[in-house]
Amino acid sequence: MRIEREIVFPATPAEVWEAITEAERLEEWFATEVEFDPQPGGEGVFRWGDGDERRAVVREAEPEERLVLDWDDEGEVVLELEEVDGGTRLHVTETSPDWSAALELHAFAWATVA
Amino acid sequence: MGHGRVDLVFDALGDPARRALVEAVAERGDATATELAAGLPVTRQAVAKQLATLADAGLLSATRAGRETRYAVTPEPLSDAVGWMVDVGAAWDDRLARLRRSLAKERAVR
Repeated sequence: MRIEREIVFPATPAEVWEAITEAERLEEWFATEVEFDPQPGGEGVFRWGDGDERRAVVREAEPEERLVLDWDDEGEVVLELEEVDGGTRLHVTETSPDWSAALELHAFAWATVA
Repeated sequence: MGHGRVDLVFDALGDPARRALVEAVAERGDATATELAAGLPVTRQAVAKQLATLADAGLLSATRAGRETRYAVTPEPLSDAVGWMVDVGAAWDDRLARLRRSLAKERAVR
């Protein structure tokens, strides 16, 4: 199961890359407190004001093009950048942890019966 | 037929307004189009149409109550999977809005 979002920012790919990889910039939009090492194998720790914490490992990092994170709870986030007229398109794909594959099958079976 | 139903589910949840309605119904337990429209800048008819789409996809159950239809979120396990989509989708909508502001702010500074 996955979520996808696409948005065009009036900014260069370099500006968007900075905003999605520098810890202090990530703290402006992603989480309250961020530690992040944006290179393959690098680790990310994201904390939110409500006490929530998520950890991730960088699987891929192609500057200004593509960033892939593996969440420690097995989900995955892919951020893809593309220069377009008027700025940079950011495509986000978040894939859910494995447990949802079973749920999805349930949902499919359920939908078939219903 | 089954595949068509699953496509309906994903199409129904592809729209932010409809995801918001699923969340609103889930928060209230059950609700009518009139009740939901009261808190929104849209007409009751528009909400009723969206609710019907969600019910067609099997995400909401519909029960006639007098002249109105009451909607409720359908039971587990589908609603767990739907809950994940709704939560994660809403989180990204919020994050990307903040990212847009962060990028604009950075531009203004430079």
